Amino acid sequence: MARAVAGDRSAFGVLVERYAAAVRRVARAVLGDPDDADDAAQDAFLSAFVKLRQYDPHRPFGPWLMRIAANAATDRRRRRAVRRAESLDGLRAWGPQPDAEAQRRDLGLRLREALAQLPERRRAAVVLFDVEGYSHADIGRILGIPEGTVRSEVFHARRALRVLLADWKEDVE
Amino acid sequence: MTPEPTPFDHRPDPVLGGALSRVLAPGDQAAFVARVMAALDDAAVAHWDVLASWARAGIAAAVVAVIVGGLLVARPAGSPASLEDVLAVAAGPAAPALVAGSTPPDPSVVLTSAEER
Repeated sequence: MARAVAGDRSAFGVLVERYAAAVRRVARAVLGDPDDADDAAQDAFLSAFVKLRQYDPHRPFGPWLMRIAANAATDRRRRRAVRRAESLDGLRAWGPQPDAEAQRRDLGLRLREALAQLPERRRAAVVLFDVEGYSHADIGRILGIPEGTVRSEVFHARRALRVLLADWKEDVE
Repeated sequence: MTPEPTPFDHRPDPVLGGALSRVLAPGDQAAFVARVMAALDDAAVAHWDVLASWARAGIAAAVVAVIVGGLLVARPAGSPASLEDVLAVAAGPAAPALVAGSTPPDPSVVLTSAEER
């Protein structure tokens, strides 16, 4: 970390390798479209490299980076002035869809649709909590919202996803 | 998945988390890392390009300043003309009155002086 802060690119490359998957997942949770998400993730890493001197080494690096990533994804969405409806279209367009009927029964597609129906902040909160394993307090700092709001967002997201996943199970059965 | 989620759950749901992780799974990791590092290099090159453009502008400004300064220094500095010199050049009966008078000259006097020259 110290080498990366000092401007060592190879050391920063190690950090990119370590956190790339998480940053891309969070960006994708916010933006939906995987290409947009990767662009935002790249913006986040470049921004992090520039801001590394502002990083407090006494604090964990992950939440600091995730805050930059969440902001980069949100900024990108705002810059492109993507309306919510278009964002939902993007989320639904994830991945190939060779057979709509078959895909409809697919858990992945159902989850994508379920995620697409959640507000952006709720999507980010549930992914940061259930996928990335951050605490409510950390997520509050990452998203810039109170811890209680994080709990509420995660709760509502889980409940919505659970309903849709239950529907999916009933379809399968 | 947790049977009945509450706002007070403080542990991640491994089933939901795993499913979401698969849905959000990014593509080729190595390609992405390479892309970020290449963008980092490009950003550094662009940074030096900006500095170089600033340096070019600075050099051009310095050259202009040197040329202007040189012209100012090299210009012959003539001593101011004395009153006698002026009167000698404007030799005529009306000239002293024109130069030394406390009131504005009469235009006819000026014209007459010019005609005499």
